[in-house]
Amino acid sequence: MAVRCQFENSSEIGVFARLTNAYCLVAIGGSSNFYSTFEAELGDIIPVVHCSIAGTRLVGRLTVGNRHGLLVPSTTTDQELQHLRNCLPDSVAIQRVEERLSALGNVIACNDYVAIVHPDLDRETEEIIADVLKVEVFRQTVGENVLVGSYSAISNQGALTHPKTSLQDQDELSSLLQVPLVAGTVNRGSDLIGAGLVVNDFAAFCGTDATATEISVIESVFRLTGGQRSGEVVNELRDALVDSYA
Amino acid sequence: MSGIKASIAPVPTANDFLDIVLSKTQRKTPTVVHPGWKITRIRSFYSRKVMFTKDTFNEKLDAILSDFPIMDNLHPFISSLLNVLYDKNHYKLALGQLNTARHLIEQVAKDYVRLIKFGDSLYRCKQLKRAAMGRMATIMRRQKDPLAYLEQVRQHMSRLPSIDPSTRTLLICGYPNVGKSSFINKVTRADVDVQPYAFTTKSLFVGHMDYKYLRWQVIDTPGILDHPLEEMNTIEMQSITALAHLRSAVLYFMDLSEQCGYTIEAQVQLFNSIKPLFANKPTILAINKIDVMRLDQLDPERAALVRSIVEESEGKVKMVELSTYTEEGVMDVRNLACDTLLASRIETKMKGTKINSVLNRVHVAQPKARDDVERKPFVPEAIASGERKKFDLNDPERRRTEKDEQEENGGAGVFNIDLKRNYMLENDEWKYDVIPEIHEGKNIADFVDPDILEKLEALEREEEKLEAEGFYGDSDDEGSMLDEEEEAIRSAAAAIRSRQERAKALSQDKNKNKHLSQVPRKFQNRTLSQMAERMTAIGVDPSSVMARAELLAKAKGLSGKRKRGGDEDDEEQMDEVDSEEAWEDEAEESMDVDEDEDAGSSRRKARKSNEGSRAIVSSGVTTRLRSSTTALTNKSGGRISARAGPARVPARDRSSMGLRNSEQRDKSIRLHELSIRDRNREAKAGESDRKIKEKKPKWLFAGKRGKGTASHR
Repeated sequence: MAVRCQFENSSEIGVFARLTNAYCLVAIGGSSNFYSTFEAELGDIIPVVHCSIAGTRLVGRLTVGNRHGLLVPSTTTDQELQHLRNCLPDSVAIQRVEERLSALGNVIACNDYVAIVHPDLDRETEEIIADVLKVEVFRQTVGENVLVGSYSAISNQGALTHPKTSLQDQDELSSLLQVPLVAGTVNRGSDLIGAGLVVNDFAAFCGTDATATEISVIESVFRLTGGQRSGEVVNELRDALVDSYA
Repeated sequence: MSGIKASIAPVPTANDFLDIVLSKTQRKTPTVVHPGWKITRIRSFYSRKVMFTKDTFNEKLDAILSDFPIMDNLHPFISSLLNVLYDKNHYKLALGQLNTARHLIEQVAKDYVRLIKFGDSLYRCKQLKRAAMGRMATIMRRQKDPLAYLEQVRQHMSRLPSIDPSTRTLLICGYPNVGKSSFINKVTRADVDVQPYAFTTKSLFVGHMDYKYLRWQVIDTPGILDHPLEEMNTIEMQSITALAHLRSAVLYFMDLSEQCGYTIEAQVQLFNSIKPLFANKPTILAINKIDVMRLDQLDPERAALVRSIVEESEGKVKMVELSTYTEEGVMDVRNLACDTLLASRIETKMKGTKINSVLNRVHVAQPKARDDVERKPFVPEAIASGERKKFDLNDPERRRTEKDEQEENGGAGVFNIDLKRNYMLENDEWKYDVIPEIHEGKNIADFVDPDILEKLEALEREEEKLEAEGFYGDSDDEGSMLDEEEEAIRSAAAAIRSRQERAKALSQDKNKNKHLSQVPRKFQNRTLSQMAERMTAIGVDPSSVMARAELLAKAKGLSGKRKRGGDEDDEEQMDEVDSEEAWEDEAEESMDVDEDEDAGSSRRKARKSNEGSRAIVSSGVTTRLRSSTTALTNKSGGRISARAGPARVPARDRSSMGLRNSEQRDKSIRLHELSIRDRNREAKAGESDRKIKEKKPKWLFAGKRGKGTASHR
């Protein structure tokens, strides 16, 4: 199930949360509403952790991680890092990365096996990603956007990318990631998929603006309803999509 | 397509219109003509009124003309609906008349402003203005009917349903009373009045519903009777307009039970006569009221008539049965209608050019295997098994979340989250341990190392091992040779260093006084003894100079003031003598000066006199002088307290003469200060200073001034 929520009246929840199969990071907000949305869905399965990165609430955009590890930017303070180490299980390796493109969430998109990264990322960072997150790393763009993390959302079961990703790019990305892939939007037509949607293998959260069509595409491509083959609903939805877009 | 404006401003009646405009003129233009105004001013006063009135009329009429939609620019459906409802010609005429009125008013204003220019008196100008306004008012009063009509149109238009002509639409039509409104009430949230008589629905109604992730618009039309188009009334024409102009799925409702009051034949006849309107539209023949009469129950002849509709259409018309009463088949009808419409819409859209930009969004890219690695999803057992209880906000037994806690503790803004509660540490007691960030200037985090104890142990073990192996054994044997060499190098280095130091000190010494201010010689504090000492140091005998100083001192009459002090003075004197003698010995030794008797005696004299002068100075009269003597004797201290020459000591302190005591003296001083205060304030030199430094200060005499304000500014 994809859950709709908002962080302090903003539908860009991917900015304020980072969700993986082993943990979930949530920004510290004015109230507990946003945190509790995640807590209610995931609290009994994985740790849901309040944190800040470099004193900001942009937890989702500044960090990247999967079930093996978490990468945080060099601007993360020692106290924040210690807090994360205390909150996350020992199986998750936490590493601070000295990378010029410090919004790691924007420049890296990954699941537990594959990562696609911004073409200008440091070679050292690339190695760190491969070592800490235990993934294969590919330099790639999404619909001619270099900010791969902002314009895509990836899980081990599916991927959603920028709506203008061409058919060729979609097939290429899908083969790299080894998951079914769909181009689409979130939050009533927003192309910032990474900012509007957080997803792992068993849960998804998107902004309150998301339409029913978008939600059903998300649930279908990330196989959150169970049973169905990925993307089957998209075929079902095809008519509806064509009629509303064209 | 430009639609109808959501809200059009009300159109006032002609009389209201006049009141609004004229009272605005009265409010917004000057109203009083003052006596003594020039005629030009009076003319402009009145022409302004005329122009203003014209502008206000213009503005108001423009607003009306722009608010009402222009029928030709609208979507054909809306345009012809408006035509049916309000009569296009009438509507156009009304707006046209208003437009003409606007032009006329403009013309009147222009003419009268021109005339006012020739007005030669206040009275004439006023009459011209009156005439202008009167003519404008007459023109406006003639627009009574168009204005009233437009107001009615406006009110009706604001109540029209907001039909979007381009969206997915289901259109329900048929004879009156066959159950069209009941159907729309069943499938949408619309609440259309349903009554058991014909023409309950007198206008178009719109309802909305969701199906297949899309939003659908359902339009309920008034019933149609089967007669030629020319004979149809407004109510029926609305249905026809909708049928003619909307790209929609048409649901033609039939009532086989004939409860509606029309025969099956008549209903089939109507279908056939309005069939041209269904061209290129998915059409569905909905047989309603099957709870009363089904198609199967009908006698074969009439059933065949109904079926003929479907047969004649060559598969374009689909037939379904439903009952809005028992709700049997209602959803089937809806779904069939929606599916056929969607299919036809998609078909036309796929032919268009716009589709190419959308195709990539309806494509599911399936991965091609690039290696044999299996990449399994990571779904926790609890979820994969499906046994997990879903979180339900209404369940009283639900897991407690932080939000519950927040609500219990004063709500958002008051409640403070506990960040450390969920820490996963070896020992839960450590959770709230306070760890300093900085300790003794060092960042604690820089020294955190989870393996530090193991590393330390490893190091110690290595050390022990090395020690056991004798790695650190004493190496004194070869040390002595090295030491000697090193000693030599070190001493040489020390010598060099000390020489450098000396050179540096010397150079610094040389430059020491460069930047210090020079006290003029006159004010430098030099004493006789200092001079003597200095002369001795450079090897010159000072005795003759000292003797001369003694003489001079005497000549100034200072020696006479001498008073013998106490014992300490004597002692001082003794010291002086001793030191003097010591110096003499020294000098005799160091300098080979041949001495004759005279010289010796004179020197002795001189020494005595010198001693005398010293004594005089040292036993000063006032305390001030006394302190200066001490300064003199303490040469080493180098205090500066008296001048080089003999101090001028006034014979008597006249400031306190004639005063009884120090209290009186203080008071006199105070009074004196008070008396000179005013004069000091004006920077006078003294009591007799009467000078006025500036006779004509600029600020008093320059610049503009008004009448009678020159006294001060």
